Amino acid sequence: MTETVVAAGSDATGIAQIDTRPLVDLFDAVPRAVWLGAIVAVAGVILAILLGGLTRRLLVRLGVPHAVEGTAFERTAREFGSSTVDVLGSLIRLFVLGVTFFGVLAIGNVAVASGFWGRTVQFLPQLFFALLILIVGVVVGDKVQMVISERLTGIKLPETGVFPRLAKFTVFYIAVLIALSQLGVATLALVVLLAGYLFAVVFLGGLALSDLLKSAASGSYLLLEQPYAIGDEVVIGDHRGIVQEVNLFVTHVEDDGEEFILPNSTVFETGVVRVRE
Amino acid sequence: MSALSDLLGDVVSGVEAVLLFSPNSSHYRRFAEADPDEDLLVVAPNNTVDAETYVELPLEFDNVRDRIRFGIEGALERGLVEDEDIVACSVRIFDGDPDGVVRVRVTESMRSGIYDLFANSRAEPGVIRDVFEVAIELGKKGQKGKPVGALFVVGDAGKVMNKSRPLSYNPFEKSHVHVGDPIVNVMLKEFSRLDGAFVVSDSGKIASAYRYLEPAAEGVDIPKGLGARHMAGAAITRDTNATAIVLSESDGLVRAFKRGGLVLEIDPEEY
Repeated sequence: MTETVVAAGSDATGIAQIDTRPLVDLFDAVPRAVWLGAIVAVAGVILAILLGGLTRRLLVRLGVPHAVEGTAFERTAREFGSSTVDVLGSLIRLFVLGVTFFGVLAIGNVAVASGFWGRTVQFLPQLFFALLILIVGVVVGDKVQMVISERLTGIKLPETGVFPRLAKFTVFYIAVLIALSQLGVATLALVVLLAGYLFAVVFLGGLALSDLLKSAASGSYLLLEQPYAIGDEVVIGDHRGIVQEVNLFVTHVEDDGEEFILPNSTVFETGVVRVRE
Repeated sequence: MSALSDLLGDVVSGVEAVLLFSPNSSHYRRFAEADPDEDLLVVAPNNTVDAETYVELPLEFDNVRDRIRFGIEGALERGLVEDEDIVACSVRIFDGDPDGVVRVRVTESMRSGIYDLFANSRAEPGVIRDVFEVAIELGKKGQKGKPVGALFVVGDAGKVMNKSRPLSYNPFEKSHVHVGDPIVNVMLKEFSRLDGAFVVSDSGKIASAYRYLEPAAEGVDIPKGLGARHMAGAAITRDTNATAIVLSESDGLVRAFKRGGLVLEIDPEEY
């Protein structure tokens, strides 16, 4: 039968035809489920590689490598010959591969939806997001510390070292809290602690910064309305002079080599006299 | 390898001082612990390494030559180096760690006044730099290819405003334009249409345009051949603590005046 087909083919066109019959037999011999499983596996692997690459490129395009430069996480990753972007790409790749693996198991009718496996399957995405949140938290915390300490480099006091670290650990704490609640761990006590801490920061911060805030509120009015401008002669409180500068917090008034730097809140408390000849 | 070392040896032989430009702490410590015979000077925007002798660099010049000249001028001004000294400068030319060593002979002619202009002016150094950049840019571009002139009075704006009067209504009234803002570059061309002086405050706010300066011009000594714009600019700096930066319409040079005298003259085309 086979021979005739080949012979006929050669006779008719002079080109040998490929006999597909054994392949069809092979296809029939293997159960459909296995084929489906194989296709899902291959598609999963391809999707994982594509998504991993896409994530990498997206993060690079968003300038993430530059933004995380110098953070502790990036430095540790570098030591292992990797980078933050690579780690995130691999994480997503692993996640897709994991999903594929369980998809294949499900197709293979392995009882994954019950008992230990069922719980594992449900747990996996949560674990993935928890990990992602932790990594992002660590990186952002480090970055916040760097940015704040850069802002404070002008102030050469050892005490200012507290603020960047405080900010860093606040970000860490919140990241850990979110990650833990993702995993379903009881975090009520930690949330209460966070609430207390935030209340203290807001309340005490507000108390400490009240003068600055008051000045900023008055300053925004002064900047928008400009009741007096640079060069005007004014009297604010006991100080008379020429306005040199108005910014959000203070007004510089100069008089014969004496420059008074007055908080904008005093402008509102005492009022301003504009001197006109 | 030995040829390479010789090459570097020639560059650093007989130097009396080493200028480290913006060193990182490990870089500095390596030098300080070696305790070299040469004087060690740190030139940086901030003294982050707690160096004993330190020259402040008010701004990071991108141009290495400017950076070196500025550092040496600062050191001269502070008496840390002298005329005819030979110094080696460790500088960063490309991004990253310091990657170049430059041998420089200090001469009195290096005192161009630029250090004094930036470091000892009333306005912030960054503001002076920004105004310079605006003036230089304007000098390069001109108005539709034609040369233009401009006069910026920087710092002590309150006093300057009181010694001048408006020629027309002030286009910058109730605006918050600072010289470093990107919008200023867009406005550059329009700037040159405006007559009179621009008044810029200590922190860089453009307080006014269209100002007619009315200082007393007696006793102001500026080179002959400069016109009314330069005279007005120089005179206002004698009466106030301001710095005047003037772009000349006739020769295209940017000049800076302080305390009634010319301190700096640069050609925009060379910048």
